Amino acid sequence: MRDVYVIGIGQSIFGKNPQYHPIFLGAQAAKAAIKDAGIDPRILQVAYGSRVMDATQTAQDIMKHVGVANIDMNNVENACASGGTAVHMLWKDIAYGIYDIGIAVGCESMTTCSIAGKLVGVAGGDLNGDLGITMPSLAALVARRMMETRGATIEDIARSSIKNHRNACLNPYAQYKKAITLEDILKAKMIADPLTTLHCCPVTDGGAAVILCTGDIARKYTTKLVKIISSVTLSATFDSTEEDLVDVEIMRSLAAKAYGKAGIGPEDLSLVELHDAFSMEELYSYEGLLLCPKYEGINFLRSGATEIGGKLPVNPSGGLLSLGHPLGASGVRVVAEVTQHLRGEAGARQVQGAKVGMAQMVGGYLTGLGAPSVGVINLLAI
Amino acid sequence: MENVLFRKDLFKETAEGYSLVGNKCPKCGKIAFPKADFCTHCLNENLEEVELSKRGTLYSWTITRVPVGKYPIPHAIGLILLPENVRMVAPLIIGKQDFKVGTEMEMKIATYWTENDKNIIGYKFKAIE
Repeated sequence: MRDVYVIGIGQSIFGKNPQYHPIFLGAQAAKAAIKDAGIDPRILQVAYGSRVMDATQTAQDIMKHVGVANIDMNNVENACASGGTAVHMLWKDIAYGIYDIGIAVGCESMTTCSIAGKLVGVAGGDLNGDLGITMPSLAALVARRMMETRGATIEDIARSSIKNHRNACLNPYAQYKKAITLEDILKAKMIADPLTTLHCCPVTDGGAAVILCTGDIARKYTTKLVKIISSVTLSATFDSTEEDLVDVEIMRSLAAKAYGKAGIGPEDLSLVELHDAFSMEELYSYEGLLLCPKYEGINFLRSGATEIGGKLPVNPSGGLLSLGHPLGASGVRVVAEVTQHLRGEAGARQVQGAKVGMAQMVGGYLTGLGAPSVGVINLLAI
Repeated sequence: MENVLFRKDLFKETAEGYSLVGNKCPKCGKIAFPKADFCTHCLNENLEEVELSKRGTLYSWTITRVPVGKYPIPHAIGLILLPENVRMVAPLIIGKQDFKVGTEMEMKIATYWTENDKNIIGYKFKAIE
């Protein structure tokens, strides 16, 4: 297996921009990544596109806008983990010697897609979806259980939203650069008890892209060699009553595989960017991703360990809660974010001395399977 | 108004009204709800239909305050743990008491929504008061 490096990263503006087609946002991100890498786009050998809603020929459409056609192009849908999966597929092609350089690009327009204005649901025809489960209500079920069986207060549930909104004030790409208080969160419109709108990621349009290549190519273009030290996707087990909703098997197995393949442990991480579509997700992911011992997640968050400047900053970008969550783009965006920190180019939100970072996304829900139904982790190091 | 079942495959008509039905695998004992063609645990295809308990405990709950599909809001929904070791999603009936994890719940047939002069009915769980 060959080493794989990130040589280009780019993202579009993230925000409510219904005037832009999602392909335009993807093309903006792809152009930015090509410029960042300093390459002629015609040396790209493969492209993966990721988009969840109303998607067709995402990669082909985006790449024609950056002057690339007639190469191997494929498209990925893996719910909220789509973007991270596109990066994973590209990583595999390069690691196993199929190609030497390629691009993964994700995009989404949540303001104009076919579910615009509605809660993000589950697959059509799925029993639990038909009974009225949506992603916010699923998150609310986990939050309620954390409160009633783990001793979390509503402030604990809200805490990562407060932290991530504060971080976003330092990020020029964030949709919301405004600090919020517990009172703001509690007073916001109730979506699914106990979660209000400010416990949930906003509706956002955006695109993100990364260019991966072999070491030989990377060394021609950069001295900041950011390497993907492991890349893992995993789908959930069948649903089991033995699995507690607040401590899911898929998260632990995914994390263990990612650490194992990289030959590192969670103690080696400098920062984590993870799927915080809902505030409780960051909280329950601390234990799932083995960032702290079992039952210690609430104290870990309360201690400030995951603040910028803390022991292990989590979502220094502001996370999905403040950047927003264009479904197909987010998993690519977190790889770009971690890369910026490892290069020392993250500006005011920079995690000082960052050496190893995790870019994680999870998503999806289906009757009969554990929740979430799919996850991806890309671990990066410099 | 005519009552129409939300999904026929979830129910069985008995002397006491509708019951929920699942499949039991005679080999490994696993029970599936909704019914499945085969056991996901051991892949056995010869499953038996079983009536599920009408009582269970509340595993978690929420009340959705914004519209979801055709359901009127607020739409209370939760997870119910049945004695058969089945954890199922269920719409809930809001009663006098607040919901609480661990509450004993009972299955009722109730209206999900109304459309074209028809009551779309299905299962809901309500706290035993």
